[in-house]
Amino acid sequence: MADDVQRVEASAWHDAVAAAVASGCGWFDWLGAVDEIGRADAIRVVVRLAPGPDADGVRLEALVPREGGALASVADVVAGAAWHEREVTEFFGITFAGGDARPLLLRPDAVGHPLRRDAVLAARVVRPWPGAKEPGETVAAGRRRMVPPGVPDPEVWGEREGDPASPEEVAASTAGGRVRRRR
Amino acid sequence: MSTPQQAPQHRSIKLVYENCTSCMICVRECPAWCIALSSHSEPIPGSPPGPRQRTHNILDAFSIDWSLCLYCGICIEECPFDALEWSDELPGAASVATGLVQEMVEQPAATTVVP
Repeated sequence: MADDVQRVEASAWHDAVAAAVASGCGWFDWLGAVDEIGRADAIRVVVRLAPGPDADGVRLEALVPREGGALASVADVVAGAAWHEREVTEFFGITFAGGDARPLLLRPDAVGHPLRRDAVLAARVVRPWPGAKEPGETVAAGRRRMVPPGVPDPEVWGEREGDPASPEEVAASTAGGRVRRRR
Repeated sequence: MSTPQQAPQHRSIKLVYENCTSCMICVRECPAWCIALSSHSEPIPGSPPGPRQRTHNILDAFSIDWSLCLYCGICIEECPFDALEWSDELPGAASVATGLVQEMVEQPAATTVVP
């Protein structure tokens, strides 16, 4: 599987998708997004189109800003993309102009965009993690603190005093593992 | 309901006590946080005593909460000592969610004979 990966400008997104479909890649595989925080203040939207289910195709990528990012909807070219666009809208907070804006999966009162890397799993911060213990410990001694994936370092989020940490700092500390000792 | 003459089913996850080193990897990898493990370390019998006597971990308790388990098999996949495996046996039924926590270490550790 070697797809042809093409980076397109956000303004040329719709035309690039339409051109790919017109050039024979009429089978829509998926449309998704990746939070590029830490590398760029952007979210990468990716669509994969192919001539058929088992053929190599083309992957189009566009970078949009994390705050107020918008792309033109491609649902008029590929009807199946509408569902994926609604999902990306909810999970990453990007709007698709001219697309279906109805919520898809999240509760109506949900706050934030859960697949952004700086989204904190608050329920996991509160609940004690069974993995905090070291091998051979009956109770967690707390000398070397471990946090589960999705929970940031308490110094960054939760026990922090003063200004809240930047989204970059929160995203960088949610990988889980040993809490590094500071100062 | 019972289907004899079939390949092993993924009905539950079984602990192989002898293989477990209480390394905590399964507990930490579990995405549902359904595994709880408790262990303590003891000097290895016969090892020379002293301030740096060698120790090993004794598994005291290992439970899986079947009300949380996703049956994803990540714990089985991650265990470096093959101490977890798929089992044909269904977890026992319970009338309350807390009753679905199954303790898998049968003997209390105090009476466990270490070879």
